[in-house]
Amino acid sequence: MTDSTAPGQQVATPADARDDTLAIAPNPPRRALGLHRRLSRVWANDPGWWGHVTAVNHTTLGLRFMGTALVFFLVGGVLAMLIRAQLATHDGAFLDTELYNQIFTMHGSIMMFLFAIPMLEGLAIYLLPKLLGTRDMAFPRLTALGYWCYLFGGLIMLTALLFGVAPRDGWFMYTPLSGATYSPGINADVWLLGVTFVEISALCAAVEITVTILRQRAPGMKLTEMPLFAWYMLGTSVMMLVGFPPLILASVLLEIERAFDWPFFAVARGGDPLLWQHLFWLFGHPEVYIIFLPAAGVLSTLIPVLCRTQIMGYGAIVASVLALVFLSFGLWVHHMFTVGIPHMALAFFSAASLLVAVPTVVQVFAWIGTMWQGRPQLVLPMYHILGFFLTFVMGGLTGVMLAVVPFNWQAHDTAFVTAHLHYVLIGGFVFPMMAAAVWWMPQITGRERVRGLGEAAFWVILIGFHGTFFIMHLTGLLGMPRRIDVYPDNPEWVWLNLTSSIFGFVMTIGFGLFVLDMALQAFMGQKQRRDPWRAPTLDWAMPLPAPPYTFASIPAPQHLDLPAREVITILARGEGLLPGAPRDRRELLTTSLGTARPDHVALLPGNTALPLGLASAIGGFVLLMLAGLYALTLLPLVLVAMLIWRWGRGMVRPVDDAPIEVAPGLSLPLQGWRRRTLGWTGSVCLLVANGTLFASLVFGIGFLALVASEWPGPEARVTSAALPWVAIAALMPVLGALAQRRSDALQRRGGDGSAAAGLGVVANSVAVAALAVLALGHMDDPTQHARDALRGVLAGYVALHALIGAGMAGFAMDQFRRAEITARHAGLLPVWRLWQDYAAVTALVAALLAVGLGMSA
Amino acid sequence: MRGALVLMLPLVLAGCDSPLSTLTPAGPAARDIAGLWWVMLGGAAVLTLLVLVLLAMAFGPPRQVRARVWTHWLGLGLSFPVLGAMLAAGLWVGERVLPRDDGALQIKVHAVQWFWEFTAPSPDGPVTTRDRLILPAGEPVDLIITSSDVIHSFWVPQLGGKMDAIPGRENRLRLQADAPGRLAGQCAEFCGVGHAVMRFEVEVVEAGDWEEALRDAANDGDAEDD
Amino acid sequence: MRWLALSLVGPGIWAAGFVLVYALHGVGCARGWPAMGLAGALDLHAGALWAGWLVALGAGALLLLRLPRAKAEAGLPVWLPRVGAWIGLAATAFTLLPVALATSC
Ligand code: HEM
Ligand SMILES: [Cu+2]
Ligand SMILES: [Cu+2]
Repeated sequence: MTDSTAPGQQVATPADARDDTLAIAPNPPRRALGLHRRLSRVWANDPGWWGHVTAVNHTTLGLRFMGTALVFFLVGGVLAMLIRAQLATHDGAFLDTELYNQIFTMHGSIMMFLFAIPMLEGLAIYLLPKLLGTRDMAFPRLTALGYWCYLFGGLIMLTALLFGVAPRDGWFMYTPLSGATYSPGINADVWLLGVTFVEISALCAAVEITVTILRQRAPGMKLTEMPLFAWYMLGTSVMMLVGFPPLILASVLLEIERAFDWPFFAVARGGDPLLWQHLFWLFGHPEVYIIFLPAAGVLSTLIPVLCRTQIMGYGAIVASVLALVFLSFGLWVHHMFTVGIPHMALAFFSAASLLVAVPTVVQVFAWIGTMWQGRPQLVLPMYHILGFFLTFVMGGLTGVMLAVVPFNWQAHDTAFVTAHLHYVLIGGFVFPMMAAAVWWMPQITGRERVRGLGEAAFWVILIGFHGTFFIMHLTGLLGMPRRIDVYPDNPEWVWLNLTSSIFGFVMTIGFGLFVLDMALQAFMGQKQRRDPWRAPTLDWAMPLPAPPYTFASIPAPQHLDLPAREVITILARGEGLLPGAPRDRRELLTTSLGTARPDHVALLPGNTALPLGLASAIGGFVLLMLAGLYALTLLPLVLVAMLIWRWGRGMVRPVDDAPIEVAPGLSLPLQGWRRRTLGWTGSVCLLVANGTLFASLVFGIGFLALVASEWPGPEARVTSAALPWVAIAALMPVLGALAQRRSDALQRRGGDGSAAAGLGVVANSVAVAALAVLALGHMDDPTQHARDALRGVLAGYVALHALIGAGMAGFAMDQFRRAEITARHAGLLPVWRLWQDYAAVTALVAALLAVGLGMSA
Repeated sequence: MRGALVLMLPLVLAGCDSPLSTLTPAGPAARDIAGLWWVMLGGAAVLTLLVLVLLAMAFGPPRQVRARVWTHWLGLGLSFPVLGAMLAAGLWVGERVLPRDDGALQIKVHAVQWFWEFTAPSPDGPVTTRDRLILPAGEPVDLIITSSDVIHSFWVPQLGGKMDAIPGRENRLRLQADAPGRLAGQCAEFCGVGHAVMRFEVEVVEAGDWEEALRDAANDGDAEDD
Repeated sequence: MRWLALSLVGPGIWAAGFVLVYALHGVGCARGWPAMGLAGALDLHAGALWAGWLVALGAGALLLLRLPRAKAEAGLPVWLPRVGAWIGLAATAFTLLPVALATSC
């Protein structure tokens, strides 16, 4: 069933041959229609318009993500056309510079944050449960929350564009240009707050993609045998967990600098603009691999089926993903080759940037080898795949050129780079996504494509694209910098730019045709028979269009090796695991991380408007920040806290459930009986992201202390009188961790741990109080110097974590009181434990750092 | 190779009249880098062609192939030597154009939104010119690049790579011009609404005439001030 | 779980070594290590960088040697941890090559 088994064996040892395969007996077949009806009732969205508000289903939300991303792509495309129209002549009379700057900034920001990332999230959310043989993503409400955050953040940015106050400092927002002095007004704040808002959605998606892949694969689908797309998405989501926090930190710091004048990037007070660049590109480079990996996953899925063979080099591809995930975090300085870093440091990053090409080359040859091994069919998705090869190979080659330091010194920040990045992004992401669209549209709409139009769109796009961007390499080498709106003194660039502009419009027509093609298919296509591509993967083992519950029963190990068309009926008749919805609630199967042995049955929440409420509260906070009404932001924050509490209450499950027989002779407990629930795994993911944020902060402190010119700063006023308070703030979270352990011990014995949990509330609260004392009475004015601003940030970080720790302790206390925590049901305790331990460790580190930054005797 | 030809053609069309072109170098650093570019372009054309040919050959009946040949021999075996060579070439050129502490002439470059100030030492004290850089031909010059507002980037494409002007730090860039003549420079890092017009001219004079040219420029400057 | 962690050790060694050497390089340049002698012609900066590189290479090699003895988790193949170790070693060797080749500060 996976497209992986046979090729995987070439590197596998005999030890992992299939002799230890799980044996799970099939359930007796039932009437498919009956199962379908009941399942549909349980899993469907609410009826009417209210149903749109409360939907949490992955199919609905995945499509919604992709649809919204498509709209943003069109907006970004219109902006691109404005840029191209302006550049068509040398004095580009029609936009003034201020507006032009907003337009290219918004084009870049929209394409990266509001199109590419949400598009791949949407694809993963839509596809993964179907591909892995489960019924939904691990945290459906989080999916919805992510969507609303994305939508609201995007709308804030679009609104700003309509009112002419959009960001205008380029999509990487370099300080000091984006600082308060040189960018007064709210333009830059729109970017910082809007993008951060959207990033919440990226983190939500990353957490649940990781958990879904690790814990919800169909029984027997080992990690090393799962479809390659899942490997790619696993790599992507881990990169998102680690890649986004540096940017979130940078955005928060810059927003604090702009709003409250705490210096982090301002040179005169101990900041350094290069800190921004490091943090931004620490995110920014992995970002392009985050965009590329899912597209490569699509290619690895489509190519073997289109060639009627199996993927070549499954193991080599998995290894490539592993290498890319790591290596792409070691390249960020190649965006900073001209900032005046010593040659040896540049050389490290040059070498790493060259090396990262290796796993990509391995994949490209694995794909071509697959095509040799099979019989490629020249159908529309294959056109787009060929478009990918042509375009992406050239983009990759200019990429390795740019990794060569001296060449980069010339080409950096010119049209050459603009050409390169579009070759990589359009070649490496847009073409594969178009292939994916053609591939999965039958499943989404249940209809066939209208012949001819798609092919025409492909050719027009391909010709338009290369006509636009190929000569742009030359434009750049002839000296044209990026981000300029006029070039009155350079007639030699005119014909190049004019050509690019004309073909740019050709490409736009092509994209128009593409969208038209999809619309025609959706509304006028013939009804599609099942499994149109004769695919081996589970995503086609269901009726078309995909039902909300995906599988009437979860595939068993013996189903994984059969082609999709044969599995459809088996699963629809309930012969797999956990058939139907006999208990009228949303249930799915969780499995073990490596070998996918059945572990427990998880209950998923149903439709709810809570995600919309929470996103709106966060949106309120963002808007008040934008309006400069900082005092009022407390209101939405309190609302956020209250809604999160309700969210948690919504996760509480009945305690008296008996084990469920998911297959003859196989009974599994409900999630409440396990300490390692999906929520627990999700919390680990969240802490990984949080830890990266903290590590970035530590990096920032070290960087400024070492490199910034105005260090050490003015004499610190803070004295050793502060030390006792620092000690309290650092040790109270540790006490909280001890209180947690006490409640754990009591829970295991079936005792009442509410007093111990109460101690946790008190300990965390005392930590917050101690920090308040420090802030009000002992610390230096944070606007004075970066050192003091950083101390302020550390204090805030510890306080926030203690506050959340107190909230969790309180929640657990409440659960003890309600008897929701019993000897068998740990309730929130395991998650609180993770959090409290993390809070304790970071509090200690933060205290050491704060003291280490220096004080007077 | 075909790609190289396609690229050369417009170059010929554009003529030599491209004062900001990296492809018509007027100094050793730019020449080294342009050489690097032409070699890399040739290599890239060959590799693109290779991939396209392999792709075209894929269309046909299934073939017996060995995965190892593709993933290991082509994937690793082809890429490592190419990339290793590129690293070595890049390092070699990079080391050649690096500034050394050999007492070369130093000119201060200060970037301001949106103009350039060049300060050169002369027997009569430092001479500052605005948007006009005067260089002696045939001699290495170290430019000490600073900024006090936002980040800019100093770039004379015909002489060599760019170097950012960043508040709070002093960056050093070594350039050398072959022969007397007029060249052009510009800001290469986006720096606000004046970015596109933040240009300067570069006047290369015989090394012997350099101090005099500077004196003339200083007098010009006085005249402007009056 | 252990298996997955084991697969990450190799690239992890590269990441740690890369960060270590990059940090040593930065600190050394900021603190003037190249001017401080260590032994003979070797200055403190070069010494620290070489040491960092060699330690990372040694750790990578050690991992490769010890890996066959680490018992694989039931049902999961050993090739991924092994490939991971190779990735880490190759990346350490290639990306830190400039320690031997480039001007330091
Ligand atoms: C629809 C066809 C597209 C066209 C015609 C186009 C054209 C352009 C142009 C002319 C620029 C400005 C270069 C300059 O500043 O001088 C630009 C910048 C950029 N484009 Fe596109 N683009 C297209 C699609 C995309 C896509 C699909 C992506 C990403 C997925 C993308 C990402 C970017 C980025 C990141 C920038 C840099 C913005 C900045 O400098 O701040 N573009 N594009
Ligand atoms: Cu990059
Ligand atoms: Cu500029």
